[in-house]
Amino acid sequence: MFRHTIRAASKVNRLVGFRTYAEAAAPKATAASNKLRLSIALPHQTVLKDKDVFQVNIPAATGDMGILANHVPVIEQLRPGIVEIFDSPSHSDKFFISGGFASVMPNSKMDILSVEAAALKDFDSAAVKSQLADAKKNLDSTNENVAAEASIEVEVLEALNAALSK
Amino acid sequence: MFRLGAFQIARASLASSARNYATLREIETRLKSIKNIEKITKTMKIVASTRLSRAEKAMACSRYFQGADRDFFEAAGTKAEDKAEKVLLITVSSDKGLCGAIHSSVTKLTKKKLAEYPDADIVCIGEKAKVQLLRTNADGIKLTFAGSGKAAPTFKEAALISDEIEKLGTYDRVEVIYNRFASSMSFDSSAAPLYGKASIALSKNLSTFDIEEDSNVVDAFSQFSIANTIFSAMSEGYASEVCARRNAMDNASKNAGDMIQKYSILYNRTRQAAITNELVDIITGASSLN
Repeated sequence: MFRHTIRAASKVNRLVGFRTYAEAAAPKATAASNKLRLSIALPHQTVLKDKDVFQVNIPAATGDMGILANHVPVIEQLRPGIVEIFDSPSHSDKFFISGGFASVMPNSKMDILSVEAAALKDFDSAAVKSQLADAKKNLDSTNENVAAEASIEVEVLEALNAALSK
Repeated sequence: MFRLGAFQIARASLASSARNYATLREIETRLKSIKNIEKITKTMKIVASTRLSRAEKAMACSRYFQGADRDFFEAAGTKAEDKAEKVLLITVSSDKGLCGAIHSSVTKLTKKKLAEYPDADIVCIGEKAKVQLLRTNADGIKLTFAGSGKAAPTFKEAALISDEIEKLGTYDRVEVIYNRFASSMSFDSSAAPLYGKASIALSKNLSTFDIEEDSNVVDAFSQFSIANTIFSAMSEGYASEVCARRNAMDNASKNAGDMIQKYSILYNRTRQAAITNELVDIITGASSLN
């Protein structure tokens, strides 16, 4: 199932520009309505619960996108990458997620579901590089399962590596 | 003749005292085994209690995780199709007993659903439900999974299970039957619907969502939400089970304590009776010599 998700993600053109906080586009409404209520949930952990934020940048399968309050309801598949959360226009937190789904509800409530997520600053880039090298070795394995697993690993680790070296 | 009579009496009393000793020993071994059982049930209770807090936490997370899906289905107005010809019931239990009525409760609900859809296919997660359903609905069981529920379920397990279930083909209606964790004292068996790609596509408010036509988001999301629902059902079931086991073992320890008390009194009484008997024997023996 996840292989499917990730295959779909890998087809996407990566050249889509990374959108940052869209100040000009922010609705000039009351303070309450221009907040997005964000939740990030993992099967084994709830990372964020109904947190008020300004903007969220997500690595959607169709390209990176920034979501503000009062966004049209949408459901997007996510590829492995960085979720950037702006809790104020000047400050953002970065999380790395392993892919999943993001949904925006009609009432400016946003849910991000992922199997794994962690703060980007908690990753060790040396460990990522060594694991990436290991995974690449298995890529040409004759065992189909091993090769498939390795291709998922490479996909996630490359995204992580790119995110860390930015 | 007199001597002979006395001899007989002596022999009879010896026999009776021998019987007393035997029951005394019997009571003693019984008491010992109950004490051992109490030790075991107490330990199991402690193990269950320590697991409970973790299981409850995992359950709360999975419930929240699944809540996001439910929000979407509510907003989209997704509902299971009314006329259902092919029905699949997924019964979530586990492999281990000694936890009260937790497994029979899910099988009971499954049987109730089977009365509604007699031709439904069944998937059993956990041996206990399988054994109970095999007696009545052996034909309906299409797939069983053993070995789950030993530790807190992981999403990987749920994803693998949902992968296998997907291979069974498409169904009009799929329901997951599991024990919903209500409080640390109670659980209720409930059924949660699983929405396939077709049900989601037919949702009446789906147009409020901005979904690209050619993308396979709906398909992928339905797969994801199936794994998600199964995971959440497994987590709830696990928490309920651990909780029920703690309560069952608590009761068992209490009962064992009661029995120990009763048997110790009985043991002491019998011991005293035996001593009294012996004293009577000695005194009669001594007085007959005079």
